[in-house]
Amino acid sequence: MTHHLRVASVLTAVSAALLLAACGSSSSSKTASTSAAGGTSSGPTVPYKTGENMATETLNPNGTKGGMLTSYSSEDYLHLDPGAAYFSGDYTALYPTQRTLLIYPPNSSTTLAPNLATAVPTTANGGITDNGLTITVHLQPGVKFSPPVNRVVTAKDVEYAIDRGANPNVGNGYFQAYFGNLKGAASAKGGPFPGVTTQGNDTVIFHLIKPTDATLIGALQMPLTAPVPEEFAGPLDKKSPSQYGTYLVATGPYMFKSDPKTGKVTGIGYQTGKSATLVRNPNWSASTYTSAYKPPAYLNQINVNIGGEAAVIGQQVLKGTGVVQEDTPAQSIVKQAYEQYPTQIEFAPGAGDHYGGLDTTSPPFNNVNLRRAVWAAVDREAIVKARGGALVAQPLTHFITPGTDGYKESGGAAGPNYPWNTDVNGNMAEATTLMKAAGYPGGKYTGNATLQVVAGNNGNAPAVAQIVISALNSLGFKTHLSEVDQSVMYGKYCGVPKQHINVCPSSGWIRDYDNPLTILYVPFNGKAIVPTNNSNFSNFNDPTINKEMDAATLIQDPAQGAQAWANIDKQLVDKAVGVPEEFDTQPNIRAANIQGVGDLWNVGSWDYAYTSVK
Amino acid sequence: MSAGAPELLLEPESVSESVEIVPGDILARSPRQLFWRRFRRDRVATASAAFIIVLIVVAILAPLVVKLLGLQGPNVQNPNALDAFGSPTGPSAAHPFGVDQLGRDVASRVIYGARASLIVGIVGTLVATLLGTAMGLLAGYYRGWTDTFISRTVDVFLAFPVLVLGLGIGAACEVRGCFSIGGTKLIQPGIVTVIFIIMISSFTYIARIVRGQVLSLREKEFVEAARSLGASNSRILFREVLPNLLAPLIVYASLLIPVNILLEAALSFLGVGIRPPTASWGQMISDATPTFSTAWWYMVFPGAALLLTVLAFNLVGDGLLDALNPRGDR
Repeated sequence: MTHHLRVASVLTAVSAALLLAACGSSSSSKTASTSAAGGTSSGPTVPYKTGENMATETLNPNGTKGGMLTSYSSEDYLHLDPGAAYFSGDYTALYPTQRTLLIYPPNSSTTLAPNLATAVPTTANGGITDNGLTITVHLQPGVKFSPPVNRVVTAKDVEYAIDRGANPNVGNGYFQAYFGNLKGAASAKGGPFPGVTTQGNDTVIFHLIKPTDATLIGALQMPLTAPVPEEFAGPLDKKSPSQYGTYLVATGPYMFKSDPKTGKVTGIGYQTGKSATLVRNPNWSASTYTSAYKPPAYLNQINVNIGGEAAVIGQQVLKGTGVVQEDTPAQSIVKQAYEQYPTQIEFAPGAGDHYGGLDTTSPPFNNVNLRRAVWAAVDREAIVKARGGALVAQPLTHFITPGTDGYKESGGAAGPNYPWNTDVNGNMAEATTLMKAAGYPGGKYTGNATLQVVAGNNGNAPAVAQIVISALNSLGFKTHLSEVDQSVMYGKYCGVPKQHINVCPSSGWIRDYDNPLTILYVPFNGKAIVPTNNSNFSNFNDPTINKEMDAATLIQDPAQGAQAWANIDKQLVDKAVGVPEEFDTQPNIRAANIQGVGDLWNVGSWDYAYTSVK
Repeated sequence: MSAGAPELLLEPESVSESVEIVPGDILARSPRQLFWRRFRRDRVATASAAFIIVLIVVAILAPLVVKLLGLQGPNVQNPNALDAFGSPTGPSAAHPFGVDQLGRDVASRVIYGARASLIVGIVGTLVATLLGTAMGLLAGYYRGWTDTFISRTVDVFLAFPVLVLGLGIGAACEVRGCFSIGGTKLIQPGIVTVIFIIMISSFTYIARIVRGQVLSLREKEFVEAARSLGASNSRILFREVLPNLLAPLIVYASLLIPVNILLEAALSFLGVGIRPPTASWGQMISDATPTFSTAWWYMVFPGAALLLTVLAFNLVGDGLLDALNPRGDR
């Protein structure tokens, strides 16, 4: 999913190290032990203080029921439709309101738990049969939709939810990547297709054409799997774009405040760019959870304030009561919190990174040596500093993020040993050599093109954009920088391949689930390019690499799979498919009187269903 | 405000003083000499004028000045000047005004920022003055439908919310620009658009003043005399009326410059002005806002430069106004 612009939304190696320690995989990142926080190979380590490492959080079992939370986010939601949402900010409102089939509990980003389903499908419990070609999921009985639909959720609602993933009006960005191996998925257009069938009211069956059961099961925690009532959403889905999102129905403990008769959310529970209000879902019942995952839903209401300066929000959160910041704190706030309010900041080790998109389908960056020159020239340490220093970032040296299979195999913190990748401070000599190899004997770009650069305008994004621009200018490129709101950046420019924006320095990625596929496929596979909501920011389409990714998804042995994905990762660095920036650790801040529980799998964003007011 | 007719340049005192006349010690002075004499007596205005001249010289010779002071260039990013959290460090021997969030030297950027402010302030005012004078001349001299049409147009532009217009242009034309002619986009956030916005917002001020002046001038005897001699309208406009407008125009234009410098700073602050990384005081103040509590130098120095520049122009303008109109009734 796409990352917050600011803040190293990418989980850095450090957090990854802690995570790896938890799930037992060995890697060089394990040397960054539980006591040390950020640390680059050359930079200073800044230790976490007690309670700051979100990887060791508890799930707040004894929270006080009741109360109202005010949640500040300087970034707006991109989509409220669970079929379209693909952004960490959207997820903070979606997961408390929509019950996906599976879910990661807040304190784990590796072990799935059942949510709407009764169990995670395995071979042992009969969930996986036919040698991995059939996946069967049973639904919790008695789960009801919120007003105005009010009835019990059935298997048909889950089937419809997944069907609409192929509907162009919905604009889902990962249907083909994660559900593409279901029977008939390749040609599905929003109607029923043979890959998803139901049996009775409470059984959903998935039929795969290839045994990629692990991929599919991981995808069952994506928002697309949250049930959608066809009688309510069908007419809305006929419009282009779909109006489901303006009108919504919930299945989670909370819902967007809406018109009780029509279910309209926009203008009532969501003022675009201004605010959102989440209230309790009257039809939600805590007894419909039978596994370890049982959201306590302490809060009565969540008021989301959208917009504003990150630095101002940070002050309000650190000094206020009853407030949290939902998106990335500004770099100066991170420092202030770490030094003066250490009990109010927590760092989430995670699986995210930031890198800039470089349009590979138009000049000049269709030339691989020019891309390599940019890779060599960028000062990644400066970008780390702009995000907040070693505490929150480490230089990006390849694309599989710390904490995911294949990170170590791909070179770990140092990454693959290509000449343009070795110096994280930027190496102009190497860049000049590559410019010459690209056909510019003077070592500087002499063409006529002015590069279009579109970056975010809030938080740390402008500073990072300046660093990238500085590298481009030193190579002789003329640049035209536009700083826009992040939703505009993704929605209108960087997420629309036709715009051919040359450089998008503020983009980033968080893995969708615990599988290297989810870091490399959607951002770098040609088949994942979609006309809107595109997340392959470089429009990268290499048939050889596409084929290798398809082959890697079929590998059952985790070690072999890790190696296969690492090989792909190395090739992506070889082809310099983006502007390298950093691996992130996400800081999350809250007021002193908030017992915060963050979702580790979603950059530690505060989980409204677990957080309480003290 | 009306400034009175140019005849006020005649100093009453030179007529009413009763002093023994000795050849050589009282010379008849031209209005211009009287004007400068009065201006020079105003110490504050003279000092401000000197400051402005120094500022202009520094702006023109910015690369040399930066080199002489031993500072880094304005766009040189230096992450080593940031601390472990990426926060900027304050004033030091190497960086007398501290650094900004990218490690760039603030003193260097303040010096280069003078260019943006002065160019936009002076050129924008010049363009606004030209346009306003033309419209005021035509409206005041020809009256009738011409006056009505021009005056209503000026009223419409006076009602324009300029900052909102700037924001709108910024939002709409940010990435691809608007209104292309032959491949080049005319409107894009940047220096040309800023000058355009300044022109729209200030020409109205000049137009109204000029119109008022022309309305009174056209009734004067020398204009009647010229007309009776058969002078054409354009000759009267350019030879009789316009020269008498020059002095007030200089004064009001000089009072307009600081307003426009502030407008440029405001537009840059809002993100629709000079494009980064080009240094601009407004942009620097905008960037400094989130970190003011921890990095005061980043806002204080460009803010002080802006304050002093605007103040200097205002004082010079007031000095010119006083020199033009010694009776003091405005």
